[in-house]
Amino acid sequence: MTQSAPDPVELAIFRSAVHSIAEEMGAALRRTALSPNIKERRDYSCAVFDDQARVIAMGDHMPVHLGSMPMSVEAAVRALALGPGDIAVLNDPYAGGTHLPDITMVLPVFLPGGTSPGFYVSNRAHHADVGGAFAGSMGPAREIFQEGLRIPPVRIVRSGAVDREMMNLLLLNVRTPEEREGDLAAQIGACRVGERRILDLVEKYGGPQMLALIEGLLDYSERLVRAELRRMPAGSFAAEDALDDDGVSDMPCRICVRLRIDPEAGSLHVDFTGSSPQVQGSINAVRAITLSACFYVLRCLLERDAPATAGILRPLTLVTPPGSIVDAQPPAPVAGGNVETSQRIVDTLMRALAQAAPDRVPAASSGTMSNLTIGGMDPLTGELFTYYETTAGGMGARPTLDGISGVHTHMTNSLNTPVEALEYAYPLRVRRYGYRSESGGSGRFRGGNGLVREIELLAPAQVTLLADRRRFRPWGLEGGGEGSPGRATVMDAATGRVAELPGKCSRYLHAGDVLRIETPGGGGWGL
Amino acid sequence: MRAAIDTGGTFSDCVYLDAGELRVLKAFSTPADPARAVLSALRQVAPSIRVDLRHGTTLGTNAMLERRGARVAFVTTAGFEDTIAIGRQARSVLYDWFAPAQECLVPRELRFGVPERVSAEGENLRSPTEAELGTLVDAVRSSQAEAVAVSLLFSFANPVTERRIAEVLAALDIPVSLSSRILPEFREYERASTTVVNAYLAPRMQSYLLHLEDRVSAEHYQGRVDVMQSSGGIVSARLAAQEPVRTVLSGPAGGVMGAMRVAGLAGFERVIGLDMGGTSTDVFLSDAAQGGVRRTRESLVAGIPVSVPMLQIHTAGAGGGSLARFDRGGMLRVGPESAGADPGPICFGRGILPTVTDANLVLGRLDPSSFLGGSVSVDRDRAEAGLREHKGPLATHQEFAAGILRVVETEMDKAIRVISVEQGHDPRDFALVAFGGGGPLHACSLARSLRIPTVLVPMMPGALSALGILLADVVRDYARTVMLSGEAIHNLAEDFGDLEQQGRREFADEGLDGMAAHTVDLRYRGQGYELNVPWSAADPGHSIDAFHHLHRQRYGFADPGKPIQVVSLRLRMTALAEPWEPKRRDARPGDGSVARCGERNIFFDGQLLSSSVYRRDQLMAGDVIEGPALITEYTSATLLSPGCRATVDPFLNLVIAVRPAP
Repeated sequence: MTQSAPDPVELAIFRSAVHSIAEEMGAALRRTALSPNIKERRDYSCAVFDDQARVIAMGDHMPVHLGSMPMSVEAAVRALALGPGDIAVLNDPYAGGTHLPDITMVLPVFLPGGTSPGFYVSNRAHHADVGGAFAGSMGPAREIFQEGLRIPPVRIVRSGAVDREMMNLLLLNVRTPEEREGDLAAQIGACRVGERRILDLVEKYGGPQMLALIEGLLDYSERLVRAELRRMPAGSFAAEDALDDDGVSDMPCRICVRLRIDPEAGSLHVDFTGSSPQVQGSINAVRAITLSACFYVLRCLLERDAPATAGILRPLTLVTPPGSIVDAQPPAPVAGGNVETSQRIVDTLMRALAQAAPDRVPAASSGTMSNLTIGGMDPLTGELFTYYETTAGGMGARPTLDGISGVHTHMTNSLNTPVEALEYAYPLRVRRYGYRSESGGSGRFRGGNGLVREIELLAPAQVTLLADRRRFRPWGLEGGGEGSPGRATVMDAATGRVAELPGKCSRYLHAGDVLRIETPGGGGWGL
Repeated sequence: MRAAIDTGGTFSDCVYLDAGELRVLKAFSTPADPARAVLSALRQVAPSIRVDLRHGTTLGTNAMLERRGARVAFVTTAGFEDTIAIGRQARSVLYDWFAPAQECLVPRELRFGVPERVSAEGENLRSPTEAELGTLVDAVRSSQAEAVAVSLLFSFANPVTERRIAEVLAALDIPVSLSSRILPEFREYERASTTVVNAYLAPRMQSYLLHLEDRVSAEHYQGRVDVMQSSGGIVSARLAAQEPVRTVLSGPAGGVMGAMRVAGLAGFERVIGLDMGGTSTDVFLSDAAQGGVRRTRESLVAGIPVSVPMLQIHTAGAGGGSLARFDRGGMLRVGPESAGADPGPICFGRGILPTVTDANLVLGRLDPSSFLGGSVSVDRDRAEAGLREHKGPLATHQEFAAGILRVVETEMDKAIRVISVEQGHDPRDFALVAFGGGGPLHACSLARSLRIPTVLVPMMPGALSALGILLADVVRDYARTVMLSGEAIHNLAEDFGDLEQQGRREFADEGLDGMAAHTVDLRYRGQGYELNVPWSAADPGHSIDAFHHLHRQRYGFADPGKPIQVVSLRLRMTALAEPWEPKRRDARPGDGSVARCGERNIFFDGQLLSSSVYRRDQLMAGDVIEGPALITEYTSATLLSPGCRATVDPFLNLVIAVRPAP
């Protein structure tokens, strides 16, 4: 901590100003992007970093991006000597990314007269397709090479002009180049909005005062977290949970965690030793995701509008065994690590935390995003399409409240695609969309119910599912019951027969087939 | 006589034209039966003559806020009954494990599915049988619903089944709202939610408005009643009763229209409005060249999505009663919690936590003797003691108070940025119109930080909303989603013809002759949001050019090579209000010394400056006052920072030239 904390008034004003930069970038990105995944479902994040790549403001966007975006900025800075007007792009999980569909851009902000960047702005958006073996790039791959185009940190914009050659290379490797180009243009535009606003802010404050305020803001976040940790009991709390399988073998994938809370120091040590080694299937998480999960849990201990800055992580020490499912190494496939394993890491952390603070932690939520990708050719237009959607489940019951039904929890908060928007855009017809009754766990407070969604294919298509919580159900707390497991079926149009689908699979289906997804309910709380 | 009454607050404001002169009557509101205050005001201002009443009502807003609407049955396509509760499946607060569930206006036992389906192309794939319709009627009857909302998938593309359902439900003799009538546009959740809100408000609003119209007609020689809509236009009471969702923000819309009208008369075409009240601050942006305040179709009313066009008003959770505190990390926070009316600010005698009003008071920025005409006693010593007690690490209570004001002004600054900068507007091109209890107190400081050159404090700030209602045009919006390719822009005449026929018929029923304005919502194929641009039969291709231009202006890029989609057609029918020119006073140079009533010490940027205090009601056109100064009036006070200069214009507005920050 610095010796002289800045004035609490100046700090409040600065906090608000930098946060609104991140929000403005998000508004610009949402309004200009082309794909429904970004515009309608809001699967993106924007953040502002200081010259040391420490996050100082982040929009209230996608929690899974919280802890991992700083690593993108670090990777871009390490790999490239970014100059004024340059923008770096990357998606490689082994060089600052998380999974391939999440494409991140980083713009260095040069202050007047500065020779090195004074700030960075960055945004990340989930693209509906980045090539690879499966339409939508979220399939059951065995190697990262099958998951799509890997982009190390490279310049997409040089001295203010889009690098057409680089853009062409990217666009040639994806299924829907027109949409990708529109989304990438929107990301570039959002970076520039952030740059402009930072320069305004620097003009208002001047360099030295701004540096002091940044330190003050990071210290402030740190104080908030330490204050919460000081209210916890001292001790060591262990928990484990598991993913059903990796889509290749039937072996469960264990996540083990041990928390050591030191209330005196207000610090937290998190150790994932004992978690399964990385697996063949695509559910490996890189360390950035594990860090994001820790960031998320700490953030939830604070007031709802506390700023998400790098200071939150200062009281944390994190151990992740390299080569494990929570710290994967190349060339392990990782598409599901971001969406599935990230949720299970949060579940495991919360299970351990519930022992330390039983009145502050809910039971397990659905724990899977039930990722569905449908790709094929639209018979009306003759064009390729890719549809990606996550379906919410039940929230775990809280120590004072029932869980909410059919709502996204923890690491995601994307909106659904409206049925009418979906049917306008793709050769699909939704047959049913509703609550899955009796799927929440029993207890003094009930877990929330999951959802049921049925989609009829109007054209042949490849359907890819990446879902979990079939075998290991969302757990209850204090005697509360488990939530119902997830389920998916296909009804064959020709025979009318209904077949179960495994949680992680890819199938070619016919026109007229009906896919049905049932998402897990949340665990219950109390007897 | 034409009169406008806004029953928004403690007072019902009645504004009327008496031989071209604008007059105001204030009467206590009668919240239990707002009509009582309205009728008694009319008896006073227009005894036994014909009155055409224009009304701004908060009945709908209050029913939403207090969740006192009707028991609504929701009828939709079978298999989708829960969609009204699921919403968009996102949570409203990201990082709170204890956030309560979003409340749905339709409980589970009141959701009914009908076996039917229309395709995206508008083809009727399945119709309900007579037996299935009979089952529905029985089910709704035994549910004891007081109103019904019907919203079927793709009903805007083919409303036949919704209309059939309305026919069979007519047997129940309760209000039925159809989504294909209320909001014939795509995105099923928002359309259904809007239709449900309409049904939720229908019984109460119908009985209120129709009763009021009966009484006005009886007491005032067949006088009629019109109602202000949230879109800023007037509509007949009969239509408002059928579509109450369109009037849910009636009062605030009046304030916006009033501020715009007054600013326009004073020569300001581009304005940012600032209406600061006790618990929150509303801001809006209006550019006359672009049709005034932008309308939005993405509003939340008391937490429920409503997608009929409303004036785009952005609300910040910061007002005079907002509470200040230091959080656990030692940062000063102001709002969104508010002291409300009870206990209220410390200086009112009961509150114990510092508020924005207390901070303004101890810094000398409020004049206790003129506050609400002196009717509320204000205890400055108590406020000082309270601030001293809670000042945290700050050296003095004045420093604390100044900090509170800076933080609350930052919140307002942020709100103004959302409606200006985030939408591609530069605040420097606008004038700031400040009203509400606190707007004029903070306007100069805000204008300075946003580099807005001029502040306008309108005449009649206490009755701005009623004034806006009195002067508003009659407006009705029609729309339909069509989802066509860009080339279809040349073949929309027939579709627009249908909409226009409906509009002209409805206007003719009211004895009005309206003008039709056609617009289209366009987007690049694949986008999820649309931009609204004008359309004309004479040159339909111009819409496409306008779209590219607007897209570039708002989002920084455009691509004329990209395919375009025509998403929705919109028709706005307008019957202009009678023109009115307020009385223009002769301006003669003056220094306001007649209105000067004292001198007080006021803190500006940490410095205590001796400042003159003026009574606004004694200022005359042409008076010029230099800051630092305080200009007090019944409901508000205008603070002139040093270097700012206020001129009283011929309409008695205060026009303030703001000196840029050093």
